[in-house]
Order: sequence, then C-alpha cells, then structure tokens
Amino acid sequence: MTRFLSKLTLTTVLVSAFAISAHAGEVHVLNWKGYGADEPWAIEAFEKATGHKVVNDFFNSEQEMLTKLRTNPGLYDVVMINAAFTGQALAENLIQPIDTSKIPNYADISKEKAGSPMLNQDGKVFGVPWVWGLTALAINDKSFDSAPTSVSVMWDEKHKGRVIIRDDAVEAIQFGAIASGQNINDIKDMEAVKAKLTSLMPQIRTFWSSENDWNQMVASNQIDVGTYWSGSADRAKTQFKLPVSLVIPQEGAVAWLDAFSIPAGSKNVEGAEAFINYMIDPTFYVEWVTKVGAPVSANDKALAALPAESFNRAVMGDPKVAERIQFQAPITDAQREQYLAIWQELKVNVK
Amino acid sequence: MATGGASRRGIGPALPLLAPAYLWLTVAIFLPLSAMAFFSFMTELPMSGKDWSFTLENYAAFFSGALYPTLLWASLRLGLEVTFWCLLIGFPAAYVLAKVLKGRVREAIFLLVILPFWSNGLVRIFSWAMVLREGGILDTALNAVLPFKVNIDLMYSYPAVIIGLVHSYVPYVVLTCYLTLQAIDDSLIEAARSLGASRLQTLRRLILPLAMPGLIAGGVLIFVPVVGSFMEPRILGGRTGTFYGTVIEDQFVAVFNWPLGAALSFILLAVVLVILAVAAPVLRRAQ
Amino acid sequence: MTSTTRLLEGLGRIYVGLLLAFLYLPIVIMALMSFNASPFYQLPFEWTTKWYSDLASNAQLLAATWNSIEIAIIATVLSTLLGTAASIALFRYDFRGKRFLQALLLPPIAIPWLITGTAMLIFFFGVGIGRGLHAILLGHVALALPYVIVVVSARLQTFAPELEEAARSLGASQWQVTMRITLPWIMPGVIAGALFAFAVSFDQFVVSYFLSTPGQATLPVEIYAAIRKGFMPEINAVSTIIIVVSMGLMLVTARFFKFGGEK
Repeated sequence: MTRFLSKLTLTTVLVSAFAISAHAGEVHVLNWKGYGADEPWAIEAFEKATGHKVVNDFFNSEQEMLTKLRTNPGLYDVVMINAAFTGQALAENLIQPIDTSKIPNYADISKEKAGSPMLNQDGKVFGVPWVWGLTALAINDKSFDSAPTSVSVMWDEKHKGRVIIRDDAVEAIQFGAIASGQNINDIKDMEAVKAKLTSLMPQIRTFWSSENDWNQMVASNQIDVGTYWSGSADRAKTQFKLPVSLVIPQEGAVAWLDAFSIPAGSKNVEGAEAFINYMIDPTFYVEWVTKVGAPVSANDKALAALPAESFNRAVMGDPKVAERIQFQAPITDAQREQYLAIWQELKVNVK
Repeated sequence: MATGGASRRGIGPALPLLAPAYLWLTVAIFLPLSAMAFFSFMTELPMSGKDWSFTLENYAAFFSGALYPTLLWASLRLGLEVTFWCLLIGFPAAYVLAKVLKGRVREAIFLLVILPFWSNGLVRIFSWAMVLREGGILDTALNAVLPFKVNIDLMYSYPAVIIGLVHSYVPYVVLTCYLTLQAIDDSLIEAARSLGASRLQTLRRLILPLAMPGLIAGGVLIFVPVVGSFMEPRILGGRTGTFYGTVIEDQFVAVFNWPLGAALSFILLAVVLVILAVAAPVLRRAQ
Repeated sequence: MTSTTRLLEGLGRIYVGLLLAFLYLPIVIMALMSFNASPFYQLPFEWTTKWYSDLASNAQLLAATWNSIEIAIIATVLSTLLGTAASIALFRYDFRGKRFLQALLLPPIAIPWLITGTAMLIFFFGVGIGRGLHAILLGHVALALPYVIVVVSARLQTFAPELEEAARSLGASQWQVTMRITLPWIMPGVIAGALFAFAVSFDQFVVSYFLSTPGQATLPVEIYAAIRKGFMPEINAVSTIIIVVSMGLMLVTARFFKFGGEK
C-alpha cells in the first residue's frame, strides 16, 4: 500500500512537474525601462505564482518599439504600447487579437478605457488598457518658492539653459500645440507651434530620452523645469526621493493611455495573458504606487484600492483637471513624417 | 608591403593562404556594401512584405532641403576638428615617448597610453558627463584651487563632444607616431643639430617629414570613425548633439526607413572616399 | 647635454604626465563612482560595495560581459590565423592582382563603422544569416583582419627572404620553412596583431550594436542601451573590473614580450 501510495505521489509529482514545464516558459516583455513590468519584486511574485519566467527588453521611443517588433518577429510575448500607436502596430500586422476571457481582471477595467476605438477593431480586442497619465510639467522644487501654474515658465528668461524636454517629435509638437492654445489632435496653425518651439530652443539644457536622464539632471541640480510624465514624476519623488513635483499647467496637458498587446507570432500567448492579468491586478498596482510611484490605473477596482486622498485619485480624478487634459489620438503617417521633419529641423538649427 | 622572395607568377600557390581571409572579407564586408548600394535605390525593403520598386527618391531626399547637407557638413567639421586636436596633442607625447624616455619608464608609459583601448569606450564617454557638468568634478576642483569663482559648465555642448572624442582617439596618434618616430635614427637628429640646424628646423625639415606616415595613419584612423560617430554626440552633446551619424542611426533603429538610411550612408561613404582620394596625393608628396 | 635640452626634456616629461592625467581622468572617476552610494552620482561621496554585489546578480549584464570576452577571444584567434596566413602569402608570392588584393584591405579600415555596421545589418538580415552573436563574430573578424595583416606585414618587411631560400635549399619543406623560420621571426608582429584584434573586437560598439538582438548583445551594446534607457551603476563596477583585469593582463604580456620598449 505504501509502495502504491509512494508510486502515486511520484506520478503526481512527475505529472504536475510536467504540467508546470508545459505551462511554464519565458515571457518576453517589451516596455519602457523602470515602468512597472521590470520591478524585481513584481517579477518575483509573478514568477512564483505562475511559473513563467519574465525576460525584459526596453525601448526609448514608440518608433524604436515598433522597429523592435518588426525586426524581431516571434521574439516578444507582451508589448506595452501607447494606445495612440496601437493602430499603427495593427496596420503592420505586428500584434494579434487578445482573448480577454483568459484575463480575469479585464472585467474590472473602466468601460470607457476598454472600449476605446484605438484598442478595438472589428469587434476584436488588440490592447488591454493598463494605466493612463499626463505629459505635463515637472519642477525641481529647489528652484521654485511656489509652483508655477502656466507653461510660460518654460520660456522664462530666469530659467534659461535650465529647461528640458523629451527628444521626441510627436511629444514636442503636441507640447507646442498646448503652449499655443491648440487642440493637440487637430493642429490648425503649425506655424504658431514652430514659432513657440523655436523660441524654446535657447532655453533648453538638453533633451531627455529616459526617466533616468531626467532624474539625473535634477539630482545634479542642472535643470529647473521640463516636460515630464506624471507617473515618472511620482517615481522620482517616491522611489528616488528627489525634489520633484508635477505641475498640470492651466493651458492643459497631453494625456495618454498605455495598453498591453500581444505581438503576432508570440510563442507563449498563455504566459502573455497571465502577465497582462497580473499587471492590471489591484494587488500589483497598490504595491507599485506605494513602493515606487505610478500613473493612474485603468482598472477601477485597482484605483479604488488606493486611499481617497492619494494623488492619483484626488488630483488626477479631479473633474477640473479632467477639463484641461487632452487625450492623444492616433496620428497618420503623413502627420508623423511632418512632425519628424519639423523636429529635426528645429534640432539642426539649434547649432 | 615588401615584394617577396619568389618571382612573378600566377596566384595559384598563394591561394590556399589567401582564400580564407579574403572569403571572410567578401561575406562580411564587400557583399554587405554591395547589398546596401542596391537597397539604397529601393522604395521599401523586400523583406518587409510590401511592394517595392527602384527609385532615386532616397538620394533626392538628401538634396531636397538644407537638413541633410547641413548635418553632413557638421559631421565632417567635427571629424576635422577632432583629428586636428588629436594630432596636435598626440604628436609631442609620441616624440617624448620615442626620443626622451628610455627603458622601463618608456615601456610603462607606452602601455598606459594604449591601455584604455582595452577598457570600455562607452563608459569613458559617460564618465565625462560627471566631469564636465556644472557642479561636477572639474568645476568643483577648479573652484577649490582658484582664488576666484569660475563656472565650468561644458556638458551638453559642442566642446564636450570634442573633448570626449579627442579623449577616445588621441591614443591612436600616440601609437602610430611613436612607431614611426622610433624608427628615426637618433644619430640623424644629432647630425642635423651639429650641422647647425635649430631645433625648429630639425623638427620641420627632418622629423616631421620622416614622421609623416605615422601622422597620416593616425589622422585617417581618427577622421574616419569620427565622421560617422553617433554615440558620443548623443551622450555628451545634449541639444547640440544632432549629427549626420545620429540621423542615420535613427533611420535604422527607430524610423525603420532602411533604404533612406542606406542612401545617407552611401553619400557619407562617397564623401569620405573623395576626401581620402584628394588627400592621398597631397599627403604622399608631403612624405 | 645643454641646459636647454634638459629643460625641454623636463617639460616633455611633464607634458606626457598631463596627457596621462587627461586619459585617466574619466577612468578614475568611473572607478570612484563604482563605490559611491548615490545612483545619480551625487556628492558627497558615500562608500558602498552595493553595485558590485548587484552586479553579481545582474544576469543580463554578466551574460553580456561573457559574450564580449568570448567573441573577442574567438575573433582574435580567427583573425590572427587568417590574417597571418594572408600576410605570408602576400609577402612570399608575387602575382597579378596583388596590389588590388592589398588595396582591398583598406575598406574595412577606411569606411566608418556606422556604414559597415548598417551594411552588415541589411545584408545579414536580407540573406538569412540574421543577427545575433554569430553575426557579431562574423563582423568582428572582418574588422580585425586588415589590422592583423597590416601589422604582421610590417614585421615581415624586416624579414630576409634569403633565410627562407637558404632553408629550402637545405631541403626543408614549405611547411617546415614557415613553422621553423618565418613564424618565429614574425612572432612579435603576430602578437601585436592579436592584441590589436582583441582591442578592435572587445571595445567594438557600432557594428555590434546594429547586429545584436535582445538577449544576444555584447557589453558595449548593453551599456549603450542602459545609458539611453536608464543607467545602472553596476556598469561602473563591471568596467572597473575590466580595466583592472586588462591592466593585469597587459603587465603580464609586457613582461613576456618587451614590445614598446624594444628597438
């Protein structure tokens, strides 16, 4: 009997071991660096819970992300895409439809975000909303007695040579649109945007391309103010204890929605679904916000799990703020090329 | 290269020794360059699955505005300036190394000069960021020594790019010039001096001409990679860090316009080759 | 020796000292910062060995370091073998097209790496060689080959062909002549060429950058990605280790082969 039992146990162990190895595999995730998906504690918890091993890779512009998908077909299982670019990835057949029934937490995603036309096509889901946030201004607290309220601070002579913006054509042009009082998704007066940005150039210390750039510039006290992402400003404060505050200027700010997609040719769709489910889970989100700092979750339950007075609920949920922000819509290829040409020209003429 | 012992005949006996090296170069250098020439005339990449055809548009793009020519000129200027500073800084050091220092000291210093090659170029460039910025190491050190307040803030500027590149490439000049200077017989210099030539005359009439091959080799070894540099300007140049190389990098890594990238690369190649070809006879005469 | 000469020589020594200070300034900074606690290089300096212990558990960075070392060693061996063989052939035989073959060695040196690298990317990607460590190796050997050939050929110039002929007339086979006479003579050149090849490969960034894929990268490529996407202070640690190790290796090499000091 004992022999039978031990045999049975052995078989079960073997079967379950086999089952785990059949389930388990590597999940290759493509995301910004330092953006939730590569938090060591999160990876550890996810790997423990599911047996999938996470392999991270990073990009530092949406364009680089797309090119990595194009030139590495079949390599990635999960990719984090700004919803404004999901359509482009889909048009190039870089991503595949997602079976949301395999992602239990999907049901808790805000209906308005989940139903976004940018993430859905022909009744199929191509992106699972994760978090949303703002491209607004952030300031070095050491340089201001009271926080500025207008984007005009970027043009202030006092801060000459101590201003920073991101090296990204779309972001720069849209920031120019906000500064010149225009709709970021329907820029009527491009000359005004150009003029605004041209006069901004002499103010600029350097361009940033990663959170780390921004944080280093503040840590070494080389900048006063610059464009920054809301989640990143939060991380600079919470995780790195830097004197950084987010400012949502009266002129408004650009809002974006980040979503997870599964690349076409993924070799571990199941692992991808498990990873996405984990990333939108309230437990992960609350820990991410408290330990590290994060943008606003698209999952209603996750957001509700934060204290009511927290920044992501009190400020980002404030209807007065909501009035000021403009959500990014997809841009056409022609627009992208135009933006890039303008941006390159601005950068060349700076010399 | 010396002409060997045997007399002129067919390539036959040399083939087994030559073939592996040249086959390798064909696969890894010559075929890729031909492929790139081919691609630069295409509208799309054939492997992207889109329809493609032949076009001159990628080359037309270069001439369509001031953007690319301006950037190319900026990169060529950068190459010339960095080469100039490297030669100016490196040659005297090579001379001291070859003619003043002796024995173990010379050996040790020679090793120290070339040792950075075996470290990491990227990290060396990145370390400059910490040295050059305001409140950085140079600023702090100078203000500690000098009685008056100076503000050293070179980071994210054109001079920062120059300093970083000169730092990376000056050992090449020391190396090539050292080798040629060492070959100059000391008694030749002594003879010139005892015949009444001044130090400057000896330098101009004797040493410089004899060291010319080393100067030229060093110059080429520096000019060529600097013209195509993109990593150093990106890290040290800040808002002034846009060069021809960074735009080509963007075409391949981000924008995914490989045909345009190939055309831009080929224009750069043509310009570099023309410069080298024009310079060659002049430099040969200088020898 | 006149006093002017002595003065000039003194100035020369000081100048070389200054140049060394310039060359080593960033390296010293890097080494110091690898022991500084602030991840943003904030001063005052606060001692830590945290980055070294972090490095030990940073699988990605360690893998990239090993990749770099492996590729550099294999590329050195291959390019030295192929390059030495080609140099001997170019020295020993005279044939039609020899000058052309010698001129063909120039492109890998005289074309900016940016162009060679992107051309390799297009070609390897197009014909199915693909990217990754094998492609990086393929590229590195090609880049190092001309340097080896140039250095070894320079050494061969000092070789007297009569020695080979004398050996042959005494009945030595071609193989014996090469192994017993030619190779020993050109050994310092071969070693210098190999060291060159190692440096070309180990510090090569541009070509590796275009030929790498995620997970199959060399150290410089990982470092560039880190600088652009979020710098890890572990990189200062790994670079410090590398420079210390290479200094040690160079000292050992220098003891055995007196290059630089030799005349």
